[in-house]
Amino acid sequence: SAGSRSPPRPGAPARPQQPLSVPWPAGRVDCPSLSCPAFVSPSGTQGCICVELCVLHHPHAAFLSTLPQDIRNTVGNIPMEWYQDFPHIGYDLEGKKIYKPIRNKDELDKFLEKMENPDYWRTVQDKMTGADIKLTDEQVDLVHRLQKGQFGDVHFDPYEPAIDFFSHEVMIHPVTNRPADKRSFIPSLIEKEKVSKLVHAIKMGWIKPRKPKEDTPTYYDLWAHEDPNSILGRHKMHVPAPKMKLPGHEESYNPPPEYLPSEEEKLAWEQQEPAERKLNFVPRQYRCLRAVPAYSRFIHERFERCLDLYLCPRQRKMRVNVDPEDLIPKLPKPRDLQPFPTTQALVYRGHSSLVRCLSICPGGQWLVSGSDDCTVRFWEVSTARCMKTLPLAGVVKSISWNPNPTICLVAIAVEQSVLLVNPSLGDKLLYGATDQLLESYVAPEEERVQPVQWVAATTEEHGKGIRLVVQHSRPVKQVTWHGKGDYFASVLADNSNMQVLIHQTSKRWSQNPFRKSKGLVQCVLFHPIRPYFFVATQRYVRVYNLLKQELTKKLMTNCKWVSSMAIHPGGDNIICGSYDSKLAWFDLDLSTRPYQLLRHHKKALRSVAFHKHYPLFASGSDDGSVIVCHGMVYNDLLQNPLLVPVKVLKGHALTWDLGVLDVLFHPTQPWVFSSGADGTVRLFT
Amino acid sequence: MAQLPARFRTESQRYAVEDVPFSVPAASEVADLSNLINKLLAARDEEHKHVEFDFLVNGQFLRVPLVAHMEMENIPTEEVVEIEYVEKYMAPQPEECIFHDDWISSVQATEEWILTGSYDQTARIWSLEGKSVMTIAGHTEVVKDVAWVKQDSLSCLLLSASMDQTILLWEWNVERNKVKALHCCRGHAGSVDSIAVDCTRTRFCSGSWDKMLKIWSAVPTDEEDEMEEAANRPRKKQKTEQLGLTRTPLTTLSGHTEAISSVLWSDTEEICSASWDHTIKLWDAETGGLKSTLTGNKVFNSVSYSPLCRRLASGSTDRHIRLWDPRSRDGSLVLLSLTSHTGWVTSVKWSPTHEHQLISGSLDNIVKLWDTRSCKAPLYDLAAHEDKVLCVDWTEAGLLLSGGADNKLYCYKYPAIASDVGA
Repeated sequence: SAGSRSPPRPGAPARPQQPLSVPWPAGRVDCPSLSCPAFVSPSGTQGCICVELCVLHHPHAAFLSTLPQDIRNTVGNIPMEWYQDFPHIGYDLEGKKIYKPIRNKDELDKFLEKMENPDYWRTVQDKMTGADIKLTDEQVDLVHRLQKGQFGDVHFDPYEPAIDFFSHEVMIHPVTNRPADKRSFIPSLIEKEKVSKLVHAIKMGWIKPRKPKEDTPTYYDLWAHEDPNSILGRHKMHVPAPKMKLPGHEESYNPPPEYLPSEEEKLAWEQQEPAERKLNFVPRQYRCLRAVPAYSRFIHERFERCLDLYLCPRQRKMRVNVDPEDLIPKLPKPRDLQPFPTTQALVYRGHSSLVRCLSICPGGQWLVSGSDDCTVRFWEVSTARCMKTLPLAGVVKSISWNPNPTICLVAIAVEQSVLLVNPSLGDKLLYGATDQLLESYVAPEEERVQPVQWVAATTEEHGKGIRLVVQHSRPVKQVTWHGKGDYFASVLADNSNMQVLIHQTSKRWSQNPFRKSKGLVQCVLFHPIRPYFFVATQRYVRVYNLLKQELTKKLMTNCKWVSSMAIHPGGDNIICGSYDSKLAWFDLDLSTRPYQLLRHHKKALRSVAFHKHYPLFASGSDDGSVIVCHGMVYNDLLQNPLLVPVKVLKGHALTWDLGVLDVLFHPTQPWVFSSGADGTVRLFT
Repeated sequence: MAQLPARFRTESQRYAVEDVPFSVPAASEVADLSNLINKLLAARDEEHKHVEFDFLVNGQFLRVPLVAHMEMENIPTEEVVEIEYVEKYMAPQPEECIFHDDWISSVQATEEWILTGSYDQTARIWSLEGKSVMTIAGHTEVVKDVAWVKQDSLSCLLLSASMDQTILLWEWNVERNKVKALHCCRGHAGSVDSIAVDCTRTRFCSGSWDKMLKIWSAVPTDEEDEMEEAANRPRKKQKTEQLGLTRTPLTTLSGHTEAISSVLWSDTEEICSASWDHTIKLWDAETGGLKSTLTGNKVFNSVSYSPLCRRLASGSTDRHIRLWDPRSRDGSLVLLSLTSHTGWVTSVKWSPTHEHQLISGSLDNIVKLWDTRSCKAPLYDLAAHEDKVLCVDWTEAGLLLSGGADNKLYCYKYPAIASDVGA
């Protein structure tokens, strides 16, 4: 058992049964039984010597020292107390009992022996045999050395220089001369198998890469789920205590004399209730700071202060943080608002001067345009074919196709007259019926005084399509039909109360609805459903009720000069274009001020238009562009109209600083026509 | 990737090459592949003359380098590519340019004669050589559409529809070169924009701006139909206008909410009408019932049907030509969009002989010849017109006709390739 822990000793017997036959070299061994340093003497004696006990307890130690014959006890490593009551102490090699030596010495004998025997100090009893053994000089010396903690061997030098056999330096002679193993230069199959297993496992996802180490230490956040509004949570809402008033001159130990109260004042102070006192102390003067006594009310005041802080109502003022971006309404994408016109499809060429006005027949087959080249042209919408050209006496200022689909009539404002023209396009029955309707007029018996003159067309004019001429006293600026197609209104370039006239075609009767002039009238408009009449002056739009004959509303446009006006087919919304490049949308139910003011154009707006069915409106401007906007009006009165600009249509060339002069929607398709100063009409689809 | 494995296939026996995979350069274009096939053919046959080929990969014409095409079509480049080749369609050869006095609104040609309708209120008959044979005047408004009804060596029946709300049935005596108005078809309350004769040549239908589709008899008779609404018309006026015997419609089909722009017979008893209300409707001519509706999102200008591939092609007020399957029950389904025009497509016409080809005329002054297998680019652009193209036609003899707002009718000879047509 000793050999396993000690340095290799060739042929070292592990058992102590054969100690004699084999030389036992000197050295240290560990004794397994007692876990104390064991010592083997140079003579071959093996023993275990505890530094403190100093007892040779080895079963075979005794005979080695003194006895000539071998009385080796064979009982083995057993507690010798078992033999306490027997006369013998064990058995020798031949099986004979080993008898205990006779111990008949009493204490006196022992003492005498101790006093007389000079070797008594070196006599020890062998437990295994019970015999007394006298230690030799060497053995005593050895015990002494061990007691001192030295090596047992006298000649052993623990401090001899160490020779490093296996150093980092490469020697010329190898330590071993064995040739390299074959396995050192062929790839290992086992490793390959293991690697392939790992690779497979990685492929299958059984092995996952290590999670990245989280460097941040994880602590449990005690307050993570705490309700900030709870009682404990208010600690977070720290409200700083109100600051105390800083001491002033009154509190000084040596205040200026004006702060010192006079006798009457002192008396008055004392007579006041403590709560009413202005100061809760009397300023006093001291010679020096050293002379200031202790303040008797100190504890009291501290307490009051604490009470104040405790009782004072604290409320946190919540400031509302609003992102200004959130206040802007979310507009839908133009792409989601289709259909709307996007590209130029057709160009209607033929006019030689700027095309001032456009109108379309209610069916959407024919387009009519009036121009500064003193002609009116009728176009086929789908092919841009000019079907008819009507030469006139002057510049065409305004043109309007009768919105009633059963009447085929176009009102044209030329100089001082309004011409009613039957274009003879479309259904033969319809335009025949229109002629019949006009011819069926019977003049009233008594002539009524009219502001205008109704003149039937001459034969030559009749051949051109002109049926009636309404001669005004001033140049006519605008003409517009009522939705039913019987009445039409004309605007004169005048400054008097004769600016607006309303005419009835079937009775050939005209009247002047206004007694007073309210300003320069820009344009007028009939309400599509109800008996309202809109008159736009430079800055205001007045809404008149035609039945009650009274002013219903006055809309402030917030613009400098209104140029044009259009009404939503529902009749509750109006747009106004102005020369200061603004477009105002009015919701008549909402307010008399614009619901929105759109400033999309760079130059003056010339014309605005609504689509009859689609939620679209368009504006044409002097910058040569038409801007189409999505204008959704909801039936729900609580929901405001949604206005989204969807497309800028360009195409018209700028001529004399004029761009688009009129815009018009097709009655059924999401198409917009625009007429420009370059003499063309363009269709965008 | 420099080389691609490819296998060449053709329907024509004459130009077949052996069916083994070749390795072709990835960047090769049509000309390179054509040269390759020609080399292969020349190696096999000494007599072989150089032929230009066109190539189809996955049913799409090759127009870009092969590898780019495959990338576009998501074809894996690892596998052998099947490339079909056909003899290249020859470019249409310009034949005639026929001058008119005014815009040409419609054209229809037969083997011998070309009938055109014009904005000068007349219809004209031309020989194929471009000689004016006959001028048919009688309408008081623009002639919007014309159609042949019957053709004999002696006399022909033809129709002209006009903006004056009437359709006139004419008999043209070829020998004496005299034309006579047989019937005046009254009933429409708007400009008649489109007429179509059925395959039995006894009926025709007309679509008008008044949203009505009417079916009329095309058989000339001696009787005059009664006019119901003649009461409120001045007697005297009606007499002077009378040109031929009055005829009233057999059936009136109403259902469109906007003007009808184009009508055609897709079967013996089926009428197809395209309208401004963004729909194409299929009608049963016998019962007068609506069979199905294809809904688009733009105004339809023109529609054409090919019995060969059973597809409808529509031109609308945008840049696209759309192909529809009229038999699909699930409503509006655009099979394919052909996009290359830059203006409204005013007119489309399928090839009567080839199931993949059609021509289209547009407001961008260009007539395009399309193959449905190449939907990104047309086969040929015929850019002869100087103004809007309003009508196109394709005859069985392979004649392409287009008329427009520049008062010219252009004729092109388009040789159909015998080997390909036979296949």
